[in-house]
Amino acid sequence: MPQTSPSRPVPTPTPTSTINPTFSGNGNLASGYNPPGVKNTDSAVPLHPSAPVVHDYSCDGPAAGRLGFRWTYGSNVAARNRDPRVQVVQYNEDTFVLRQNVCVHWEAPFTYLLFGNDGALLIDSGATANASYYPLRDTVDAIITRWGQMRRRDKVPLTVAMTSGEDIAQSQGIVQFAGRPDTTIVPTPLEVMKRHYGLSVTWPLGTSRIDLGDRVIEVIPTPGAHRDGVSFYDPYCDFLFTGDLLFPGRINISNDRDYVASLERLKAFAAREPVKWVLGGHIDMMFVPGKHYPRFATYKPYERILQMEPELIDEALQYAHEVAGKDMMLIRPDFVLFNGVSPDQRTRVWPEGVPNIDAPHPF
Amino acid sequence: MDRRTFLSYNAAALTVPAVLTTYSNAALAAAPRPEPIDFKSNLPAAGSFPDRWICGSESLMDNTDPPVHVHWYNAHTAILRQNKAYSYEAPFAPLYFGNDRVLLLDEGFTQLRNDWDLRGVVDECIADWCARNGRDPASLELLVAFSHLHADHYAAVNQFADRPNTRYMGLTHEEMVGFWGMTNYPEEQVTLDLGGRDILIWGSPGHVVSEFAYYDSYTQILYTGDMFYRGRCYITFWEPWFDSMTRLMEFVDTHPVTHVMGCHVEISKDGEDYPYGLTWQPDEAPVEMTVAQLREAYEHAKTITEPGIYFTGTVFLCNQTRSFTTIDSNPYRYS
Repeated sequence: MPQTSPSRPVPTPTPTSTINPTFSGNGNLASGYNPPGVKNTDSAVPLHPSAPVVHDYSCDGPAAGRLGFRWTYGSNVAARNRDPRVQVVQYNEDTFVLRQNVCVHWEAPFTYLLFGNDGALLIDSGATANASYYPLRDTVDAIITRWGQMRRRDKVPLTVAMTSGEDIAQSQGIVQFAGRPDTTIVPTPLEVMKRHYGLSVTWPLGTSRIDLGDRVIEVIPTPGAHRDGVSFYDPYCDFLFTGDLLFPGRINISNDRDYVASLERLKAFAAREPVKWVLGGHIDMMFVPGKHYPRFATYKPYERILQMEPELIDEALQYAHEVAGKDMMLIRPDFVLFNGVSPDQRTRVWPEGVPNIDAPHPF
Repeated sequence: MDRRTFLSYNAAALTVPAVLTTYSNAALAAAPRPEPIDFKSNLPAAGSFPDRWICGSESLMDNTDPPVHVHWYNAHTAILRQNKAYSYEAPFAPLYFGNDRVLLLDEGFTQLRNDWDLRGVVDECIADWCARNGRDPASLELLVAFSHLHADHYAAVNQFADRPNTRYMGLTHEEMVGFWGMTNYPEEQVTLDLGGRDILIWGSPGHVVSEFAYYDSYTQILYTGDMFYRGRCYITFWEPWFDSMTRLMEFVDTHPVTHVMGCHVEISKDGEDYPYGLTWQPDEAPVEMTVAQLREAYEHAKTITEPGIYFTGTVFLCNQTRSFTTIDSNPYRYS
């Protein structure tokens, strides 16, 4: 519940809703999270706060939210694409998902922006450094400014962290944040990054924390796809941000022993903490099982959704054991594992029991 | 008209007019008809390739290049190259002008005219050439042919479906071979007369079964399609490919060749492989190759006995590896 200034007159209680709030689109007047003065918008933020709003991030189960929008998926003729360069989808009032336009960079990475009472965290930074192609900094600044205005906060310190500092598909946009006031950039060289998180001794065991103010993001070392891979756990939305380690796409295993060990730790973590979704850094899969877009594709109209169920950690672990020690690729309905082979490798081996459906050719 | 007649007949004399107009012999004789261009002396005709072709861009939606780069190699030869931001295949397509006909070889990877209006571009080139040479575009027959049956070479053929005074190849092996009037594919070599400008055509299978090599006797450019180009030559059938290379060797031994030209470029100036599907090749190698490079590749090919990827110094010979092995590796691999 937001805390507003007690000096404000308390408005009369709002009446109980008599219309279906889903259809009215105006929030449920009766629900507890929809306090007086909020104009029944389902917002936890009062309309005219007189003091900085402090949000209570503790909740039973995952915080509500939805990814109710289709991701932009490029164009048949990439030069003619006129979609936004950064697609912003608001999951809930303190959680944003940003996607880079496929026609700016084919990797089309996802970037996550989380807010707490003391600051914001940007997970990953996109594949393009040039701000005129990919204005990540401007977009993030705009979101933060608006978020702060709604909560009467002048300063919202920002932390920029990577799921992998070496991955050029996730780390290029970081240069846009150089010199930004009130900004902490987690250093990217592996040893410095370990020291920053206080994990120099225990890496890859142990976890670290990024405290956003009542929303404490857990940092879990997960090398395997990248030498310096980390995952982040958000206990508010119950999201696990896994970057290149686990995502619905072509997972390039860079070290199979580390990869298996990291998935084992993630599995143990997911058994300990509630996980609603695993959110990776990209989408390569189509919505037909086991089919994926090739590298460099700039038109992906049949993309799978971004979110993965936590059970996929177990499945990934099971098949990571299978490819460990072998140079091979292995197709699963929701991801493809490449171990020791070219990222363009193909195979005739089709997983048993999975329907083999061809998506229509875009041409 | 049978196919053999078709290859050498005078198209201008037999043009079916788009509107019914009749001329008396006297009127025809009176009509101003510029001197035919001489394509047979001072060979090879001088010409040059551009220093740099358009080659995509870092951010595709910010690409401001035109959909196609039209380069006039000389006054009577244009070479088209598709923009990589319109298709990663970005094939090259030569356009040869003769006194009676125009030959378009390969079409670029496009289908709809509102994606990329190839036909409009070809029409512009023809209008441009006609304006320079005092000719009427309607008097030229357009031949739309392709090197082989892959979509990045023929997909645009439908754009020409209703174009007057145009012939295009059919999309089967039999139709392609029949288009050139061949009865003994791939060994048979036929001569296409564009009106004083001879194009020699013969079979060059290996990348696929139905593929042709085209030699322009005016510029003396040998066009080898996807069977031999500056990049990854995907050799689906080794024996036919090697035989095709042997035929090319016999040809370059007996004919002057200025440039060997393929359909794509997938390699940098330094020999770095640009992986399949890449849409930005800022440092790409030139499309034209020398006869020496072709010979070198042939010598290298003689030593190849197993499927695999071999670098000849100019091109990658991907012997029966298509779809299953590529050159690129995971750059983040560590132990």
